[in-house]
Amino acid sequence: MLRVQNASVFFPGRDGGVIHALDRASLDIDANSIVVALGASGCGKSTLLNAIAGFLPLSEGSITLDGQPVEGPGADRGVVFQKDTLLPWKSVLDNVALGLDFAGLPPRDRRDRAAELLRLVGLEGFAKSAPHELSGGMRQRVGIARALATDPKILLMDEPFGALDSLTREQMQELLIDVWARTGKRIFFITHSIEEALFLGTTVVVMSPRPGRIVARFDLDFVRRFAAERDVHAILSDPEFGDLHNRIRDLVHRPHHTAVHRAETLQ
Amino acid sequence: MTDAARTTAESLAAPLTDPAARPRTVALRPFGLDGARTGPISAVTGLLLIAVWFLVSQHRLVPPLFLPAPGEVAAQFLSILEDGYAGATLWEHVSASLLRILAAALIAASLGIPLGLAMGLNRWAKGVLDTPIEFYWPLPPLAYLPLMIIWLGIGEVSKIALLTLAMFAPICLSAQAGLRSLPIERVNAALSLGATRWQLFRSIVLPSALPEILTSLRIAIGVGWSTLVAAELIAATRGIGFMIMSASHFLATDVVFVGIGIIAAWAFAFSYGMRLLESWLVPWKGKT
Repeated sequence: MLRVQNASVFFPGRDGGVIHALDRASLDIDANSIVVALGASGCGKSTLLNAIAGFLPLSEGSITLDGQPVEGPGADRGVVFQKDTLLPWKSVLDNVALGLDFAGLPPRDRRDRAAELLRLVGLEGFAKSAPHELSGGMRQRVGIARALATDPKILLMDEPFGALDSLTREQMQELLIDVWARTGKRIFFITHSIEEALFLGTTVVVMSPRPGRIVARFDLDFVRRFAAERDVHAILSDPEFGDLHNRIRDLVHRPHHTAVHRAETLQ
Repeated sequence: MTDAARTTAESLAAPLTDPAARPRTVALRPFGLDGARTGPISAVTGLLLIAVWFLVSQHRLVPPLFLPAPGEVAAQFLSILEDGYAGATLWEHVSASLLRILAAALIAASLGIPLGLAMGLNRWAKGVLDTPIEFYWPLPPLAYLPLMIIWLGIGEVSKIALLTLAMFAPICLSAQAGLRSLPIERVNAALSLGATRWQLFRSIVLPSALPEILTSLRIAIGVGWSTLVAAELIAATRGIGFMIMSASHFLATDVVFVGIGIIAAWAFAFSYGMRLLESWLVPWKGKT
């Protein structure tokens, strides 16, 4: 289990003060779950992800993965970034195999495993292509395959589909659900799209800014239903989906002081 | 389908079925050059300049001492090619210069690249090396040429040292700039894939800085050619720079022209070769 306990982050401010980016956030991510953090920009969701990934130390609180404290980046936590971070001098296959190369796997095993992952994300025909020959959506597929290659315990996804057009985005959401259903990876996913959060999350945590806080938490089953039935329309037209959409929209747009009250009543 | 609709459909289909009538292709209106071809214009300009040179020398508008006729320069080139100049063949002059430039480039690159990378990564390396580099690199090589002679004598060492100093700064500064242009997400991605410090350096940092480093090598070799004449002022008996300086003492303007032409041709060939090397080693440059 990945456990975040009372995580707080303060950044130095421009005028000598401090910015309270994350305020006592607590979160558990169990096996086989997709936890989606939803909120407007500045609500601390990327800060939280960076801390879990080990890119950012916490000011206070703790993060543990299966009981081991997180003390920096490592291959047990795969990260998919919003901006594609593929290496332009390596082929798609070698990009996917990068983590296996770091782990010291022999070239043949690397290639086999990377080819298998490319099949999983639907890019089997593009192993030899250069990253710049692919579209944005395809590059994110490569990013997902690369993050899965080292068989991490959790996949951290920082608005991975935020820069994609809405049609590609829908395809990528379904692809991610496929990958999740097949690999059983737990996923921590960040978005500012309410619909994406509802569609993907087994748990959605709503965050609000200044200071960044978790103000509400919803446990959902839309994604499990989609994985079983593959019927988008049934889910989108479910009255519960629309109802939750409205409730979360109110939460996100609510003035901050009310959101703070809400957080206090939650605790 | 109505008649009107059919006519429209047929007239729309017509140009596509007629292979002779290729449609007029268009593109967004550019601003600036936007990759427009300039090669033919440059070639014609070159021919025009030579034609002007011809006319000016033909009509004796300028004394031949100042501007020898193209024919004289060509004849002088052939004579140097045949008989050599100042007791050495043309190839001995050219190879002496080439050897100095290549040796200096090799030394400058093998010092400049690692030191530049170290300066981009380490506070102490940056702090310590910044002072001497920022002090010396704006200086014209001719200014420290006398020091080279006093310290290192009049042999090959002082010539190569002068060229090395001139080439070192641009290489070192570019290696630093190459590191600065490395996006932090690329580093974080590698670390979260389990890269060790050394793997991060070898697989991410070095290739990311490579385009800037190769560009700086091309610039440094250009600097080498432009410093060559200064380097060969030092008691040289061989070299294209020496040939030019020695010819100027005898007012042999045609030999000076031959020397300038040879330097220009080699510098152009090197620059072109480096561009080929770049497109082979860093084909991804400019594509993200």
